[in-house]
Amino acid sequence: MTVPEISALIGIGLTAGVLAGLLGIGGGVLMVPAMVLITGFDQHVAQGTSLLVIIPAAALGSFTHHRHGRLALRDAAGLAVGGVLGALLGSFTALSLDEELLRRLFAVLLLVIAARMLLTRTLIPEPTDPEAT
Amino acid sequence: MTNMVSTSVRPNLLILAAIGLAAGVLSGLFGVGGGIIMVPGMVLLAGIAQQRASATSLAAIVPIAAVAAVIFGQADSLNLPAAAVLMVGSIIGVQVGARLMARIGEDRLRIGFAIFMIAVAVTMLVS
Repeated sequence: MTVPEISALIGIGLTAGVLAGLLGIGGGVLMVPAMVLITGFDQHVAQGTSLLVIIPAAALGSFTHHRHGRLALRDAAGLAVGGVLGALLGSFTALSLDEELLRRLFAVLLLVIAARMLLTRTLIPEPTDPEAT
Repeated sequence: MTNMVSTSVRPNLLILAAIGLAAGVLSGLFGVGGGIIMVPGMVLLAGIAQQRASATSLAAIVPIAAVAAVIFGQADSLNLPAAAVLMVGSIIGVQVGARLMARIGEDRLRIGFAIFMIAVAVTMLVS
């Protein structure tokens, strides 16, 4: 990695983190397009990298919740059973798709999320606790 | 108000697994966490209080993202050094964002950000 690339990535991480903390939305939605448009990553690489970045943040956050007794481990296990299966399906599908098509589909996802943010308040996950992210 | 029922609710595991499945597909397909499906899903379909849903979703993201990351890694679609740099930035950023949350008018920020995302989406569509 070059110095400008490293600086850009630090900036992307910081911005994604700040916005995730502020808005309670995940960092992936912010990091993936930033990696594609700013650092010129391939859509697939941007998505794979984003997935890896999400893990420690989510682990750290859920550990904090667990300490405060807010985490229902039974419910999380239920989600994870379906989630892991879905992740397999989704990942293999994404990897089989053409880079440009995947980028366009991602853009549609962004539009859906943006529309929901503009139109409905109640459906948007809002952590009431600053530590929720 | 919803917090009062949260401790007595034992949501149906099948419903949770179905919500997880949908979130997992989204996560693997787009490289996002899936909280965007799980949190409203748990609130609306399983009657779980918002705060508990956020916490639970976060825990479920760990195995979901891990599985997807491994598959992307095996396909060489993962930039490890970039991920390390992003992690440093984002961990600092989240702390800052969480502290700023109380001070900024959230509605204005949300609308501004939604418009920004539309611009990003359009750029991705035409590029």
